Amino acid sequence: MGKYFYIALTSIRSRLAYLAEVGSKTIFLFVVLYIFLCLWKVTYAETNQTSLGGLTLKQMLWYLVVTESIIMSLPTIATLVDQDVRTGALAMQLVRPMSYPLNMLAQTSGERVLSFALNFFVGSIIALIFVGPLDLTWSAVAMFLMLLPLSFALDFTIYFLIGLAAFWLEDTTGLTLIYSRMTMILGGMLIPLELFPEGWQQLLRVLPFSAIVYGPARAFVTGDWHLFLSVFLQQVVAIIVFTITIRIVYNLALRRVFSHGG
Amino acid sequence: MDNAVSVTQLAKNFVLKKRDGIRWTQTQVKAVDGISLSIEKGQSVAFIGPNGAGKSTTIKMLTGILHPTSGEATVLGCIPWKERTKLARRIGVVFGQRSQLWYHLPPADTFELLSKIYEIKKDVFESRRDMLIERFQLSEFLDTPVRKLSLGQRMRAEVACSLLHGPEVIFLDEPTIGLDVIARQELRELIREWNREKGVTVFLTSHDAGDIQHVAKRVIVINHGRVVLDDRVSRVRRQYLSRKVLSVKYADTPESISLDGVKTLKESGHAFRFEVDTLAVSIEKVMSEIMRIGSVVDITIEDPPLEEVIAHIYSAPPAAAAGDEAEEEDDDGEA
Amino acid sequence: MNGLTSYLKLAAAYIKINFKSLLAYRGAFISQMVAMFINDFVWIAFWCLFFTRFPVVKGWGVNDVITLWAIAASGFGLAHMFMGNALTLPGIIMRGELDSWLLYPRAVLPHLLLGRSSASSWGDALFGIVVYVIFVKPDLPHLLLFLALICSVAVLFVGFSVFTGSLAFFMGSADSVSVQLRIAMITFSTYPSPIFQGFVKILLFTLLPAMFVSHLPVSALRNMSMLDAFYSFAGAFCVLFAGILMFYLGLRRYESGNLMEMRG
Repeated sequence: MGKYFYIALTSIRSRLAYLAEVGSKTIFLFVVLYIFLCLWKVTYAETNQTSLGGLTLKQMLWYLVVTESIIMSLPTIATLVDQDVRTGALAMQLVRPMSYPLNMLAQTSGERVLSFALNFFVGSIIALIFVGPLDLTWSAVAMFLMLLPLSFALDFTIYFLIGLAAFWLEDTTGLTLIYSRMTMILGGMLIPLELFPEGWQQLLRVLPFSAIVYGPARAFVTGDWHLFLSVFLQQVVAIIVFTITIRIVYNLALRRVFSHGG
Repeated sequence: MDNAVSVTQLAKNFVLKKRDGIRWTQTQVKAVDGISLSIEKGQSVAFIGPNGAGKSTTIKMLTGILHPTSGEATVLGCIPWKERTKLARRIGVVFGQRSQLWYHLPPADTFELLSKIYEIKKDVFESRRDMLIERFQLSEFLDTPVRKLSLGQRMRAEVACSLLHGPEVIFLDEPTIGLDVIARQELRELIREWNREKGVTVFLTSHDAGDIQHVAKRVIVINHGRVVLDDRVSRVRRQYLSRKVLSVKYADTPESISLDGVKTLKESGHAFRFEVDTLAVSIEKVMSEIMRIGSVVDITIEDPPLEEVIAHIYSAPPAAAAGDEAEEEDDDGEA
Repeated sequence: MNGLTSYLKLAAAYIKINFKSLLAYRGAFISQMVAMFINDFVWIAFWCLFFTRFPVVKGWGVNDVITLWAIAASGFGLAHMFMGNALTLPGIIMRGELDSWLLYPRAVLPHLLLGRSSASSWGDALFGIVVYVIFVKPDLPHLLLFLALICSVAVLFVGFSVFTGSLAFFMGSADSVSVQLRIAMITFSTYPSPIFQGFVKILLFTLLPAMFVSHLPVSALRNMSMLDAFYSFAGAFCVLFAGILMFYLGLRRYESGNLMEMRG
């Protein structure tokens, strides 16, 4: 276990050097959050409501801070796996004592956590300026802190699977794009699920996208216990399902490596 | 004007900004420090010098890319940095880092594009293109994407590109770099032919002594931004380029060599470095003597490095000025 | 006018060779176009969802925002289909590739801009037109005005890209700065204009001229207003001239060699 922690730490340390990235993220987040603020301000005013989809304007903006931070923190998991598949590096990793997926998870988690923390920090300051502080409860924070790592892990499993498709596909960037866009739209990045058309909401709550984006963000902003439970359960089940899928696909892929000579 | 290129006291200063921790230091660098030269139409000139000597800067000023700090120059009667587009129609350029050929397409497509860029009339373009294809032997790969061509083929096509609009002067910067012996020879011959038959003025930069000897009739050496030598190649060759350096490795300790014109530069164990004055003794004789005195394991024959030649030039008294028509030398005999 | 026809012919030659070059890697070309399509479509999906729940926002309905996206996408796509090098101008300047373009008997800026075509931009261009025709179902006058307006937006984007790219003549990190500015410009251009008020609105008419994408063209189409169309074009050409000016100022600096350390 210590090995994986060390890997994660080294990854974080190397990322700290990329300070220019921070600057550009700040600008982007500022632009995006400002625009959303304008949009929702106008919407709340026009519908003459203080609460839309169960959120006040303040909660809405903080919700968007979390969703944006999650989406923007995504490391290039699928690309890394894809590259390792094509260069044969994956085949070489078979000899190492650490199993490849765990290795990759440790490596990218460091990046993801740091990236998220940075995005969230910047986003929070912007939100504080625009709408002021959120009424946080400790339970909301606790729920959020439990859902977030699972959200990252779940996202990882899916991107890892996409990366493994490199064994069979010429180019996985198309899949990556489609999945990331679906996460954006169907995961509630731009608009919470409650504001989707009624018919959609049932379906969307079941799909993994909402567990990755909507779930943690909503929990943070509302501290809703029932929501927490259902999202938590959903995440755990999804992780188990995808992990099993990875094992199956992984073994299929290894068999392919050995039969084709790498 | 009978001069293709006319340069008077051309100078270029750069302000070099360096960061030293948090402070910025500014230094004035004289890249070109008063160059004067004139090249008649139809001449073939090699413009050589070590890195940082000011070659590229000079060429950039002559082609209109850079504005000089002071001094004057005209190319074909035009001031390059003032009449850039007008001049560009009449000059051709082959720069090492610059490829005109579109990478994923066959050369034929680039030719067509060039005809549009230079607004060449269709019949003129077609006849000149066909002539270039024939002379440069491009027909075998004319429809092959450039990325699939060998470096030699690509360079031939690049030079052809630069001649498509019928320029009167061509500037070539390291055209044979990276080419194998045969490709190098072919390219040199083509350039030489073009100079001789079409009367195109050739202005060539190179680090390769062979390029200088086989393409140019006149050589201008530049160092530290100044002209250090300006003379006929034949004279320079006799004075400075006649030396060869041989690195030989023997299996055992050989007999000592004593041949006029051969000087032992360095000796360590079974490895030797000889300097041969080819004016005093033929390479053939030297080779047979080297083989005779011992069992050769490895041998390399090189021209002395250009820096050495230039240092030599700098220290030795300069030869008479160029333009002396008294001696007509034919350089064709070289292999 | 002779000069103009000459450059139009040049543009035609470049479009032909650029297209041919993109086709040489057909698979990559198509997949990049499709990727852009998907990308743009996600936003349309978002707005459809949004407007299902909130049918009217400051007088804007779903048709208006789809029109906006169509104009923005096609305008941006058109700009960089023909003048792909506008996107990579900072890199061209920093790598000294300008020299290459200076050796041709052509004005540097238009020539170098034409030198490349951005594959994904073809997807943007096509997307806008397709979406406009299918979703908004315009009549002929509206369609013609739409086509004219996307040209206006294209001019605007070229001008903006040239302006921000030319910063590379003056500063080292112009590459990332111009990318940031471009993203900001595109983002602001693709939201309903009435949501921006006050100081920001002024900003969006000047330094970050997104209003000439999101406000004037959309309102021109809503009301078939030739005045608004005229203002769109006027704004676009102002931005273009600013870009050209910035470029040639920078070029003068480049040609006197004060840009960076000398090479050899």
